Amino acid sequence: MDEQYVKIGSVEELFQSLQNPGAVILCGGTDLVLKMRKGLLSAKTLLDISDLDQLREIRQKCGCIEIGAAVTFSQIIEEAIIGEQIPILVMALRKLGSTQIRNRGTIGGNLVNASPAADSAIPLLLLDAEAIIANPAGERRVQLEDFLCGPGKTVLKQGEFLSGIRVPIPDPDFSLFFHKVGRRKALTIAIASLGALLRMKDDAIDEIRLAAGSVAPLPIRLYPLETLLAGRRVTPQLIKQARNIIPQCISPITDLRATADYRYQVIGDLLARLLLTMPN
Amino acid sequence: MKIRFTLNGKQILVEVDAETRLLDLLREDLHHTGTKEGCGEGECGACTVLIDGRAVNSCLVLAPQVDGKELLTIEGLAQLSQSVSLSSADQGHKCGFHPIQRAFVEKGAVQCGFCTPGFIMSTYALLLKNPDPTDEQILAALEGNLCRCTGYLKILEAVRYAAQLMRGGK
Repeated sequence: MDEQYVKIGSVEELFQSLQNPGAVILCGGTDLVLKMRKGLLSAKTLLDISDLDQLREIRQKCGCIEIGAAVTFSQIIEEAIIGEQIPILVMALRKLGSTQIRNRGTIGGNLVNASPAADSAIPLLLLDAEAIIANPAGERRVQLEDFLCGPGKTVLKQGEFLSGIRVPIPDPDFSLFFHKVGRRKALTIAIASLGALLRMKDDAIDEIRLAAGSVAPLPIRLYPLETLLAGRRVTPQLIKQARNIIPQCISPITDLRATADYRYQVIGDLLARLLLTMPN
Repeated sequence: MKIRFTLNGKQILVEVDAETRLLDLLREDLHHTGTKEGCGEGECGACTVLIDGRAVNSCLVLAPQVDGKELLTIEGLAQLSQSVSLSSADQGHKCGFHPIQRAFVEKGAVQCGFCTPGFIMSTYALLLKNPDPTDEQILAALEGNLCRCTGYLKILEAVRYAAQLMRGGK
């Protein structure tokens, strides 16, 4: 009841305010407001960065696109350059929440929450995106994979914040795949999700990148599968082999949404669907 | 703390606590009870309002966050029909209801009515940006709104009809 609210007007003010014990960054609020109301999070001071212009930009830079942490999902979906250059991100974000949630929720918030089911993390892992971390000394960049370190945990240190995400523009020849399984299409937390970037050459898989959500403590790349599939022609035997090594890639749990066994099955089925429906 | 914002075209200056939700500010303090609380978790869309032209769940927005913003609620939508600062799409209808409200009534898209303000606000946000949406676009725009009575078909019909009314068709 004695929380304070501060609308942050500059990056300098944010650094200064982050020094205060109990300061928590607020942006879209779609997760944070709920957590506060459920007593899962207590903040002495809420630092609202949602109007901080420096964190609301999308810009193209040296073969990459940088997206500010306070950019909403709707802004990303509507931004022409993202649709043209990194369409897998748009494809995944359309499945996130609802229109109302996408109008408020931000890419930075989704990543900082570090949920195993974070929908935005799947395309960003596929794209080898980097987290841009700001600190008073400057900035440091870490691979998104390393930024996320456990459910609800990131590598952010006291006094630092996620200022944005840097996404290398992928080869436009990649075929895209993103499928999220949940109880309904909208407003669902994934039971399991699978994303892929895939390029074929001479009837064989030239390059494949795979990432999955809700089947490990964090959204993850499925490297053993990528290694197995690269350079191979898709045959029933290969699909069987791929299914067999799924347990090496993921470690799902049984929770209120689904059992671990079901999640293994879903990832196997999504993978089979991907391999059977890919171009050529 | 004091915040200042525009609510349905009127300037509001009000004292709020840091943790007050926009939904509570609207209903409890400003007595705009057309905006409903369903789930209180952003799942049902009954509390949908527009902030700067975009549909949001007012149960997930803290009141201080709307400082300096422009808000539209179902009460304001009803007034748009008489307002002088109407966009061309909104002009030319008479009965004191917005065309979307009229469409929902005429197509029987209202049963208990609890979800209706939220559906209408989501519809308005859609038609502001896209005056001639496909069924797929309508369903995507309304995916954050739940109705336990109608089965959605009549709502879909009402939105198609509202789009037609707002484009000036009969």
